[in-house]
Amino acid sequence: MNTETLIAPTGTTSKEGQTFVDHNHGQSSYVPPSIGSEAPPWTMHRVDNNSTQNAFPQNSTYSYQQNAQPPTAEGMNGTPATASSSSLASTNVPQGYSGYATYQNSTTDSYGYGTTGYTSYYSGYQQQTSHSYSQPVAAYPNTGHPYQPISSFQNTGSYAAPANYSSTYYNPGDYQTSAGYPTTNYSTQSTTQWNEGNYANYSSYQYSGYPPTSTGTYTPVSATAAPVHYQPQNTQYYGKNHTEVTCAPGTENLSVATTTKLDCPIPGVPGVTGGYSTTISQPQQPQQPQQPQQPSAAPWRPEAASLQMPPQQPSTVASAAHDGYWNYGTSGFQNQQSAVGQPEAYQPFDSRSAYASFQDPQNNSGPPGTNLQYPTVHQVPQSNPFPNTHQTSPSLDSRRVGKFQIQTNPRIVSNLGVGLAKTDKAGSGTSAATKPAYISVSLPNSNDKVLSNDASDSALKSGAFPKSLRGYVERALARCKDDAQLNACQAVMKEMITSATADGTLYTRDWDTEPLFPLPSVDGDSKGVQFPAPGSTFKRSPTRRIKSRWEPLPEEKPQAKLAPVKYGGWVQANQRERKPFIFNSERKEDRANSMKFSSVDQNAPKFQRPFKRQRLVDKPTAVENGDASSDSDKEQARYSGAISMANTPEERKRRESRSKRFEKGQGNRAEFNHHYKPKGAGAANLYVRRASAMVISKNLDNGGSEAVEDIDWDALTVKGTCQEIEKRYLRLTSAPDPATVRPEEVLEKALAIVQSSQKNYLYKCDQLKSIRQDLTVQRIRNQLTVKVYETHARLALEFGDLPEYNQCQSQLKTLYAEGIEGCRMEFSAYGLLCMILHSNNNRDLLSLMSRLPSEATEDEAVKHALAVRAAVTSGNYTMFFKLHKKAPNLNSCLMNLYVEKMRYKAVSCMSKSYRPTVPVSYIAQVLGFASALFANDENEGRETDGLEECMDWLKAHGACLVTDNNGEMQLDAKVMLEPHIVY
Amino acid sequence: MAYMSMGEAHRRITDYLNHFSDAVYDQDAASLKLILSLSSNSPSQLSLADALNIFQDANRLIKQSDKHSQFGEIVVPLFRSLQNYRLGNLVDAYNAYEKAANAFIQEFRNWDSAWALEALYVIAYEIRVLAERADRELASGGKSPEKLKGAGSFLMKVFGVLAGKGPKRVGALYVTCQLFKIYFKLGTVHLCRSVIRSIETVRDFEEFPKRDKVTYMYYTGRLDVFNENFSAADHKLSYALTHCNPQSEANIRMILKYLIPVKLSIGILPQDCLLQKYNLVEYRNVVLALRRGDLRLLRTALEEHEDRFLRSGVYLVLEKLELQVYQRLLKKIYIIQKQRDPSRAHQMKLEVIVRALKWLKIDMDLDEVECIVAILIYKNLVKGYFAHKSKVVVLSKQDPFPKLNGKPVSS
Repeated sequence: MNTETLIAPTGTTSKEGQTFVDHNHGQSSYVPPSIGSEAPPWTMHRVDNNSTQNAFPQNSTYSYQQNAQPPTAEGMNGTPATASSSSLASTNVPQGYSGYATYQNSTTDSYGYGTTGYTSYYSGYQQQTSHSYSQPVAAYPNTGHPYQPISSFQNTGSYAAPANYSSTYYNPGDYQTSAGYPTTNYSTQSTTQWNEGNYANYSSYQYSGYPPTSTGTYTPVSATAAPVHYQPQNTQYYGKNHTEVTCAPGTENLSVATTTKLDCPIPGVPGVTGGYSTTISQPQQPQQPQQPQQPSAAPWRPEAASLQMPPQQPSTVASAAHDGYWNYGTSGFQNQQSAVGQPEAYQPFDSRSAYASFQDPQNNSGPPGTNLQYPTVHQVPQSNPFPNTHQTSPSLDSRRVGKFQIQTNPRIVSNLGVGLAKTDKAGSGTSAATKPAYISVSLPNSNDKVLSNDASDSALKSGAFPKSLRGYVERALARCKDDAQLNACQAVMKEMITSATADGTLYTRDWDTEPLFPLPSVDGDSKGVQFPAPGSTFKRSPTRRIKSRWEPLPEEKPQAKLAPVKYGGWVQANQRERKPFIFNSERKEDRANSMKFSSVDQNAPKFQRPFKRQRLVDKPTAVENGDASSDSDKEQARYSGAISMANTPEERKRRESRSKRFEKGQGNRAEFNHHYKPKGAGAANLYVRRASAMVISKNLDNGGSEAVEDIDWDALTVKGTCQEIEKRYLRLTSAPDPATVRPEEVLEKALAIVQSSQKNYLYKCDQLKSIRQDLTVQRIRNQLTVKVYETHARLALEFGDLPEYNQCQSQLKTLYAEGIEGCRMEFSAYGLLCMILHSNNNRDLLSLMSRLPSEATEDEAVKHALAVRAAVTSGNYTMFFKLHKKAPNLNSCLMNLYVEKMRYKAVSCMSKSYRPTVPVSYIAQVLGFASALFANDENEGRETDGLEECMDWLKAHGACLVTDNNGEMQLDAKVMLEPHIVY
Repeated sequence: MAYMSMGEAHRRITDYLNHFSDAVYDQDAASLKLILSLSSNSPSQLSLADALNIFQDANRLIKQSDKHSQFGEIVVPLFRSLQNYRLGNLVDAYNAYEKAANAFIQEFRNWDSAWALEALYVIAYEIRVLAERADRELASGGKSPEKLKGAGSFLMKVFGVLAGKGPKRVGALYVTCQLFKIYFKLGTVHLCRSVIRSIETVRDFEEFPKRDKVTYMYYTGRLDVFNENFSAADHKLSYALTHCNPQSEANIRMILKYLIPVKLSIGILPQDCLLQKYNLVEYRNVVLALRRGDLRLLRTALEEHEDRFLRSGVYLVLEKLELQVYQRLLKKIYIIQKQRDPSRAHQMKLEVIVRALKWLKIDMDLDEVECIVAILIYKNLVKGYFAHKSKVVVLSKQDPFPKLNGKPVSS
């Protein structure tokens, strides 16, 4: 990553330059190459995806995950779109600038956010772009290649291309992440938001099975660059993709947004961008600057770029940030996104494929995700980006390089952290601000990002725009009466600034006296521009667009209005087929629109929303921070809630860890489900399985932080159906199959059989382990469980299998602690003995003793254990072996393990204190050699056995034995034993 | 105070902020200390907390001026902590305070001199105390108390800031002691090892402040008691005893609680007045048993105070005194025998010992007593040998019962 990023800066500059050139010269030239390159890379990707999928045996689960990823992509797309819209809004609204300025102050002061964080984001973005451009080949062989094509497309498409590239670049990352890197996902998400291209990638991913689709999506991008080319490609791929592409909608939307902006100023360019759904957000930014420049003088360029760019980028950034937050809020970034994505992706699929049941949940989850992202985006775009960009843009240039390098990695990992931390602070500091505060938080991020982006963009274009230019823009925008006009004005000004920058008059022109351009007719411009390119694109994108989530836009009222117009226009013009788009047009009205939109999409949004809301509401944090909640807007409230949730660092950490858990868990669970009912009835089972998987995924996605806790484990618990009493133990490597799990009654029988069995310990151990496993799998924790563990522990003790015993003992400890009846005293005695004899840790022993319940000291076994302890600590071997002889339960088994040590100690003690000799018979008796036990018994043979055993033992340890006058064997006490060897 | 006016609240908060930044600029650790001390319950702190509860927008005040906003990272959470503390939300207070403390550490790291050590001490202390109280709150709410653990890892970080070479190292021992307190409370004493190592690898122990040295010696001495490393424990606890403030009887008592068993196990008995003075009566019978060779008394004394001894961790140490009691008993028998028949005094029949024990109402058979005698000889508490055939302990004619003289019983 680092290397890549590092490379990126240079690459970006060069590429940017290239892109610029291209733009000027004509997109067509670029387009062809990109397209050409694209196709191969994509295929590559597909292969990768497929392979990954294959790698995972559980196709169903895996596919789900993948789907989930795509959703993310969608979400990202949605965000980009929002971002673009927001940016547009900002541009449109002159007031926005002033507002921004204020925001800057507030943001900086209260938040004290590291601009760096944002910058890092930005730089990351920029890098991405640059990367995608030049790097793709080098840095990311796999991802890079596939993505590269995309990037190339973008480039061809327009100046914006670089941004697209970055997005593409990210996509690879996402791709990988989807494979299983939570962090990456996060980063990716942000990126994805930026680039629609990513989205496309995702879609392809999702449809790994459907390479054509992905290509189709992809092609659209290229198409943007070169409409003509695009169409053919699209048609080819599209044929397949058409219906399927959920992502496409998103991309389209994005592209639309871009187009709107671009369209106004430069019809040609916009068209390209429009066609290029992926590029949309980024392209817009670059385009904007360029466009303004064209009409106006050179001096404008920088400013316009910075100004316009910032908004766009900020919006995207913000969206990204929001997404990130959201993800956190939900559960894991990735999870959320994936969840969202899944729904979307699924929707198309599901509906067709027959996962109807699934579709609903998915849809639900999906839409919410988008919505959330959207809102966030909106907020972000607002005003902050502008001020920040202005201020920072100059300095940014210098920083860029450095930042770039750093940024990529940090972005993924630390950016989130930074962003969150900042948010937290903001939350605390600005809690009073309520919604705004939150928004502001997101804004700062966006600003930073914007800055970085601007920096990158402006780097080429040079520094900040003159103040006078800013004033000019404000004046121009102030005239606008509605969003459409604003958009149009923005586009025009972009052109002006671009041209001004191009001819070098940006700084020399007197913007204060520059006459304002006539208000453009919004409809004509946007539609006109959009239409040409979109025509081809639309067809392809429709499916995708459907998935895209424009809904979020509503949050920003002003911006939303603007955006809707564009979208609506676009949609109508381009595709009436897609109802979602139509909805977009409706959006103008407000959030309600978004709601409609979602509903139109597939009910999914509605579902999702409720889910998230609930979560947020549930969370106390959300409530705390959720000053926003005061706001009438539910969406905003939700947002704020989500954000607030994301605020606390602890929360963040927890969520991160949780999300990681989920990632692991997801796969597992999916597997679990998969295996769960695999043996059941075919089709029905499949259905159920999927449904359960969906439930799980939903949990994961929606649950966010709470997912784990929310999961209904009872519902997932296996209920065994196996009637066989005997079962070999096999360590589970997958989810248990109910058909092979024995229910409780059978387990009881199994236990009885083991207890009465004459077979050896190994057999019993095997049987008991399988019983334990079945109990665990079915989450049975009752007296039977205790009995099983006790039985096993005893058997293990008898056999001297301490490791197994320890397992059982620790389980028993928790079972007893839960209040389940059992032979508690017996086992606390074992515990004591174990501690005394085998761990030799005074502190632990002390704490164990002090924790003994008072009634324990009355218990024979415990008393015995304590006596053993006393004998051991004082070295009283006589006492030890006496206790050994009369040990209750299995205490002697534990003591057996200490006998050797005790004997050795005893004999070395004797050899020091006895003179001249010690009779072996005495030693044998005192040290509990088997014979001694029966010394006085009728069985003489045994006595000699014991004596012999003792003599053997003594000899083995180097003792010197002599025979006295009576023929009795004596130990010569003067001869010391050999150093003890611990066996 | 509860009806403080808005203006008054505003004034108090501003005052506080001014105090804070002035203290930092003047490097006035003494006033900074007061400002950071949360649990001192000083009137100024309490009224500030009230002011904060009235004037909700204190953060804006902080942001308004560069002078204050520069310390916003510290002061904002500190205010929150104060508020929560005042409202009795100790968990929240702790969380916020840790945040403030973290920010403070960041600043502290950047200060070249160690002027703010005093303030850092306060923070380390507050962190620990707040965590303990927060844990109590958590435990009473049925949640798992984890704040003290968190405080431990935070202080570990602080320790990292201080432990390096330089002027700040003097502060390391204070933090170490706070860490000890946490670890001992949590029962995770094994964590002490790394800290001890970094303290003891550098031979500058005497340069630390005295009070920290005493505390450090106390805790490390206790660790040695657990490990039955009596010579080291004796050294450390004696150091703590001789250097600690003679006025603070509570501290002396705490030290003696461990020092006495250690001294006993190396054969040094305290005077009864010492036990009385420091209210360590639980040891009285133990000491008496040692003096008299009264095994039964020792056993009853241990039984009587078992809980206490188990909790303080000296139970096993005291239990091992049994051998010394046996020694004393044998010595008494020897003296009596000597009075009757000096020529045969060095031969002690096992039966006599059994009878003596029976007289003490302790029922042991010959084999057991033989074993005990063997152990006594083995451990060098008795000089001589045991003749199994005749069941007689043959005592050395010279110093048959050697005194421990400050050395622990050999194992």
